[in-house]
Amino acid sequence: MLVLSRQRDESIMIGDNIVITIVDIRGDKVRLGINAPAEIPVHRQEVYEAIQRENLRASRIEPKDTRQLGKSKGPAAE
Amino acid sequence: MQIRTTRFGLLELEPNDTLHFPAGVVGLEDCRRWVLLADAQNSALGWLQSTTRPEVALAVVSPRRFVPHYQFKVYRSELASLELEDVKDAQVLTIVSKNERSITLNLKAPIVINLKRQLGRQVVANGDLPLQHELASSPATLKKSA
Repeated sequence: MLVLSRQRDESIMIGDNIVITIVDIRGDKVRLGINAPAEIPVHRQEVYEAIQRENLRASRIEPKDTRQLGKSKGPAAE
Repeated sequence: MQIRTTRFGLLELEPNDTLHFPAGVVGLEDCRRWVLLADAQNSALGWLQSTTRPEVALAVVSPRRFVPHYQFKVYRSELASLELEDVKDAQVLTIVSKNERSITLNLKAPIVINLKRQLGRQVVANGDLPLQHELASSPATLKKSA
């Protein structure tokens, strides 16, 4: 892994269109500013991994698994 | 064009039936082309079927039908690739899954589709929303039997 030292308000560039700036450092917490093209998704890793797991689980659902869905409909209609 | 699916057999699609997800779906980044199908038995349910991977399909619902007060906020950049002229053109769908107890809805990462441009994206909503919102099945059943 490439390791770079940066101070507050300094940045690194990834490719020619992603800029990551150290916005603030307080104790063991670092705030990052990220400038990236809209088509590049940026997520906190733990959130991304949780969504990834959930999507992969969801993508295995079969029509028979959803049969109780209509029956569980809430009180409000559209 | 014809696509093969494991759940729904062979489907005949018109080219403009397909939705383009430029970033794919989280964990399924290779799935960029999808088609939205209506469920044969349940009018509340749709299926986002990958046109390139026969085994990949996501059950989807309109979330407000099940969670009436559902709303979410996303960063503007999350919506940029959808080329929305008006937020009203956006259709929001949530992915249905199930755990040991219940059918669940992913309220944290809904799918937003611009039907005019046939563009879609899974967005990550800000704040504390559940990845597995359990839909209670008992109240409706109890009401019926009462």
